[in-house]
This record gives sequence, C-alpha cells and structure tokens, in this order.
Amino acid sequence: MAEMVPQLLRQQLAELASQDKRFDGRGRWDSRDIILETDILYNAEGSAKVVLGDTIVYAGVKFDVASPYSDRPTQGSLMTGAELRPVAHRKYDPGPPSPESIELGRVVDRGIRESGCIDMESLCIVPGEKVWRVMLDLHVLSDGGNIFDACATAAIAAMRTAVVPAERFDVGEDFKLDVSSTPIMCSYRRVGGRYVYDACEQEEIGGDERIHITLGDKGHLHSLQKGLRGVLSPAEFTEILAQAGVRCAELRELVHSKEA
Amino acid sequence: MMGGYGDVQLMREDGKRLDGRAVDEMREVEIKAGILPAAEGSAWVKHGLNIAVVAVYGPMEAHPRRIQRQDRAVLDVRYNMAPFSTSDRIRPGFNRRSREISKVTAEALESVVLVERFPRSKIRVEIEILAAEAGTRCVGITAASVALADAGIPMKDLLVGVASGKIDDIVVLDLDKAEDNYGQADLPMGIMPNTGEIAFLQMDGDLSPEEYELATEYNFKAAHEIHGLMKQALLDSASGGEV
Repeated sequence: MAEMVPQLLRQQLAELASQDKRFDGRGRWDSRDIILETDILYNAEGSAKVVLGDTIVYAGVKFDVASPYSDRPTQGSLMTGAELRPVAHRKYDPGPPSPESIELGRVVDRGIRESGCIDMESLCIVPGEKVWRVMLDLHVLSDGGNIFDACATAAIAAMRTAVVPAERFDVGEDFKLDVSSTPIMCSYRRVGGRYVYDACEQEEIGGDERIHITLGDKGHLHSLQKGLRGVLSPAEFTEILAQAGVRCAELRELVHSKEA
Repeated sequence: MMGGYGDVQLMREDGKRLDGRAVDEMREVEIKAGILPAAEGSAWVKHGLNIAVVAVYGPMEAHPRRIQRQDRAVLDVRYNMAPFSTSDRIRPGFNRRSREISKVTAEALESVVLVERFPRSKIRVEIEILAAEAGTRCVGITAASVALADAGIPMKDLLVGVASGKIDDIVVLDLDKAEDNYGQADLPMGIMPNTGEIAFLQMDGDLSPEEYELATEYNFKAAHEIHGLMKQALLDSASGGEV
C-alpha cells in the first residue's frame, strides 16, 4: 500500500509532464512564492526565516571563542548543522541526525565555504590561541518540498546580517561578520522525466534524482550535488545551469534587499 | 534559578520591576494558530521574548508497540530548544532537562485531551523553542494546547502555561530572564481556566504558604487573560485569518 500511492502519483506526474504541466500549475522553471525575513530571533547573532510555498525554515548564527586548528593557527572556523526534526513532517522521526539532514547541512555549508565569502583570517583573535567559531544552524519547521533552497537562502541571509558578539566574550567591540559575496543555491528535481525547479512535496514523493547548484556573484559554480537515484545527460545539466544563473541572480537580490 | 540573590536588585524604588512592569503584570503575549502547512495542527506563541512553535501530528498508530495503551491514546511530546534559542548555543539533541520537561508536559496534556477517544493510538506534539528568555516550558504548554485544538483533537479545556515567582522577597507574576536568574522562587503551572484545575505544577526556590497562595492567584488571573487570546487565535485561524 505504501508503494501504491507514489506509483499512482508518478503516473500522474508523467502525464502532466507530457503536457508540459506541473502538479500545482506552475511552469517548469517557476518558483513558488518566497518570503524572506532577517534579524528575527532575539538570541541569535544572525537569523533568517524563509517561507517557500508550504516549506518553512529558520537559520540561526551563533559564535563562540575556540582554539584554532593547529595547521591553521590564524583562521576561524565555520560549522553548519541541519535539523530535520519531527516537528517538520510526519515522516521525520526523533533521534540522531539522519543521513538526509547531514547531506543538507553539508551541501549548504559547501556552497558558503567554497565561495570564499567568509574571510577565515578575519575571525582570528589571538593567533594560535583564540579564534571565532561560527555556528550556523538550520532548523526546518515545515517540509513542503525543496528544503535545500529554503535552507541555503536562509543561511546566507542570516550570515550576511550576523554580528560577532565580541563584547559578550570580552574580546573587543562587536563587529559585523564580514561576508564578501552572496552564494545562492538553486535545486532541480526530475519529475515525470524532465527537470523542474523548486519541487513541491508531491513532486518530491513522485520524482527522481535532484541536483543542487550553488553559484557565486559572478555566476561561478561553488558547489554541486546530485542526490537520490537517477542519471542525467550533459545537455540536461547545461539547461538547468542556464536556468540557475537567472534564478540565483533574483534570489541574490532578494537576500540583499533584506539587509538593514 | 537560585542565583546570587541579594547582590542584584530586581525591584525599583517606585515599586515597579526592572522592565517597568507592576508586580502582577505579565509580559506581552501574542498567539497564532495554524501556521505550519505540513502539520495537522500548529501554533506560534510569543510570550515576552520567548517564541515557541508547536506542530501536532495524529492521532496515528502508536509505535513503538510498548508505548501503546489499549484503552486510550498516548501523547508523544517532545520539548526541544533550537541551537540558536539562547545566548550560548545549545548542542542539538535531547538532554536531561528537555526529557523531564517533555515528560511532565505530556502528562499534563494527557489530563486535558480526551485520550479515551483514541485507543491504541498516539498523538505527536512537537514543541520547538526558537527563542528562550525564561518561562519556555509554560509557553510550550500554551502553544501545545492551541496546536492540539487546531488539529481538531477533543479536549476538556485549553491548558494555559503561566508562572509566578519571588524577587527581592516580593511575589511577582511572570518572571523574565533576570528575575529567573537572580530571583528566589519560580512556580510554573498549567491551568484549566474553565474548570479551575491545575494539570501542570512545578516549583523551585523558597515560598511561604502565603506567598504560594498569592503566586497561584496571580497565575490564575494571567491564565484567564491568555485563555482569551488562545480562543481568539483559534477563531481567527478557523475563519481563514493570518497564516
């Protein structure tokens, strides 16, 4: 029985795809409405909330003072964690982090880290002794599909509005976290045989593999990830990369518009 | 809870508290119902600087099997603080404090939900604290009741979480962070305003019987106020209000 519903849904999605339609009536590359808010959580040094269709996620940035890694005595560090807690959907169980939540955290982390937007040297307090550790936590409250893009957008918005609480740790004056660029993730899902942008919950249940692309300010790729079972052709990738270029620029503007 | 009292003055010369509230005045409360699309029922409660979000799933088959009850539903409650909810980041995952709060909250909610209507099933209640500034267990209880009602789960009453305490030897309603850290007592309660009964009760610190009476009186007064806001949030949600 559990297998029946996805099978029926797959048939329906394939039929819709053959008419170039989607489950919720959108065009292939259309996003659901997205709402971004920043600086909304009192105790977080940087915070953001994204509502993307039925998906709701929060990102929070916290800091602490730690010892640097011995091979990088003058660099701070970034730690990203994602929580797919049972609050977000019937399908999530309590317990230690699932492989899916680990993947989510790591893919978001790579996009930010590899873009080079955080100058780790600027997070040094005393070389070899004390550096800032940036802790970015992603908290999914409602999974209505495409939590990756919702989390990545919330993450960069929270980072770009974060203030390092130096006064609280007695190491100087508070300062804005230096985030020099705005890496943005766009995710595509194979549904009914072809890729669509921003899959909704039903498209995820009845779809196949997903591709996550993170692009920097200049349109360079900073992180790629293919998840789940399925294969794609180079031509298909070229097509979604072109679409990602357009969408990432729009989302980057949205993120910048929420910086005070 | 028992900080270095004596060295921190929490009452002002004019008889008001540090944040300007009167002794029997609670922090501002804001409530919304039906805010999480993936959940069967949900609520958002802002109480002072605290923010709690609750999702309800079920009734569903109770598993693991050993938690199943032949004659009633069980409430599977999880109280969780987000890593960024406090001044120092909290490591994700259950700890002893959250386990205890989850347990006593579940038992309190099982006293108001008509659990006999759903034998062998469970109702999942997920309490997520997004911002913590003293009194989160009470905010969680209030939000959980609204979310259960929003999910259409029958209940005897909407359970309201409130707390009073003692600072500088004076009983006050609804402790804030400083008062909680440096105060002398804390008395969180889950109150059923319609029946006048108490379904949740904890206390720590030092209260005389008279002080307990006064704190309870404050709690009941505040519970009636919050009860009105809870009902209004549910009415607004049912009439397609703010989501």
